[in-house]
Amino acid sequence: MTDLTALTLAEARDALKAKTFSAVELTDAYLAAMEKARVLNAYVTETPDKARDMARASDARIAAGKAGPLEGLPLGIKDLYATKGVHTQACSHILDGFEPTYESTVSANLWADGAVMLGKLNMDEFAMGSSNETSHYGSVVNPWRRNGSDVNLVPGGSSGGSAAAVAAHLCLGATATDTGGSIRQPAAFTGTAGIKPTYGRCSRWGLVAFASSLDQAGPIARDVRDAAILLKSMASVDPKDTTSVDIPVPDYEAAIGKSVKGLRIGIPREYRLDGVPAEIDALWQKGIDILREAGAEIVDISLPHTKYALPAYYIVAPAEASSNLARYDGVRYGLRVPGSDILDMYENTRAAGFGAEVKRRILIGTYVLSAGYYDAYYLRAQKVRTLIKRDFETVYAQGVDAILTPATPSAAFGIGEKADADPVEMYLNDVFTVTVNMAGLPGLAVPAGLSAEGLPLGLQLIGRPFDEETLFTLGSAIEKAVGTFSPKKWW
Amino acid sequence: MTSVVSVKMRRRQDVVTEGEDAEAVTSNAPVSEDHFFLVPKVVE
Repeated sequence: MTDLTALTLAEARDALKAKTFSAVELTDAYLAAMEKARVLNAYVTETPDKARDMARASDARIAAGKAGPLEGLPLGIKDLYATKGVHTQACSHILDGFEPTYESTVSANLWADGAVMLGKLNMDEFAMGSSNETSHYGSVVNPWRRNGSDVNLVPGGSSGGSAAAVAAHLCLGATATDTGGSIRQPAAFTGTAGIKPTYGRCSRWGLVAFASSLDQAGPIARDVRDAAILLKSMASVDPKDTTSVDIPVPDYEAAIGKSVKGLRIGIPREYRLDGVPAEIDALWQKGIDILREAGAEIVDISLPHTKYALPAYYIVAPAEASSNLARYDGVRYGLRVPGSDILDMYENTRAAGFGAEVKRRILIGTYVLSAGYYDAYYLRAQKVRTLIKRDFETVYAQGVDAILTPATPSAAFGIGEKADADPVEMYLNDVFTVTVNMAGLPGLAVPAGLSAEGLPLGLQLIGRPFDEETLFTLGSAIEKAVGTFSPKKWW
Repeated sequence: MTSVVSVKMRRRQDVVTEGEDAEAVTSNAPVSEDHFFLVPKVVE
């Protein structure tokens, strides 16, 4: 039999429906692939028993003619999602041993639709990072390597485990989250498709919080169609999340392959940055040409406050993080390091439990929220955020349907390569993606080609609020022109 | 920012929806006793 893990999610779904193979066979194929790929460090916990139980239940439902939309399809879940009775630590030491007594809304939606859980995926600690190097469980290795090189590269972050597992065929698709680019940047680094939906499209209930006004759940998948199928199941209107917006979830898969004729695509001039490699510019031009040839109208647009987005983001996000992470004090869950009194216990616990990058952001956040600096930093950053959002509203009001930009300023880099660099250099990875979180808009990263060194590069499509469908239509048009990309197996 | 589109914040009736499960709440505590979280002595 051919390798079952080579099928896309849509292909596996159709084959299960046709009873070509069983959900248990498919799950076993993935569990075997995961075992062989442990060198990639994509999973922090494998749940084979649970996976087989769920697959057996799926086979029973398929036999009874009661199959759900994702029946029997094995998925990986980012460690940020609360999964009942299963390791949930946002890859932090401070949540040692935490096994929630509840299930996140998004993962519960997936299980209700019949999906099978393979395990929990590695990530940057509390989703703070762009390379998956801040994880307490060690770096994830990108399944992609430069031509003729055996240097290990980062898969991007923070959803590095999700992206690597999807690219290496260690799951059919994965859940991820995106606060500043944490779905789109790793998707671009691994040749996978990832969408950050509109803020409010997926429930945040049961996600370990980083920056609550920016966090949004979304899928990483092998291709645009698979991402659309997964988002349909993940998205919902949830009374447990007050920011969940009461708009019906459309059938995203129906948007795949639709004509892009007449759609107006904005090209923002502020995204042409100095110091970005020529091949990123060339890739962007290739994307423009593809959409133009497919019948879309290309228009130059201006988003004048773009250059303030990254500095404002690195005020707003740490501010919210410092507040959200105050809950980890060694009392109710996770790690406790004893001390001479309760304050000493708090301090010892937090000193031992948080990694360096998380501490840096808590310090920045506490500083910008302090009485003397609140107005100068936090309040101003909030005002800048409003201006960034208005930039987008203005171009959409002028009839632009979506915006095309590069996804990242470079291809994947080596593990440890930026270890001695200024932290700002790492933050610059998010230069094309943070604006989208600041404005709450949907953004899709779609693979568009390979670099001269043979590494995947991605483009980003930004849409109107709750218009993920147009992004799937445009993304599938780009994918149709360039194809999909898979790494050569070396592990 | 709480929403991308202008929506009114949802409200619900002021009634208990979930709760009364001290076992679940304290099950992850590093140190607990009889459904209480234990910490070093705070009041002398």
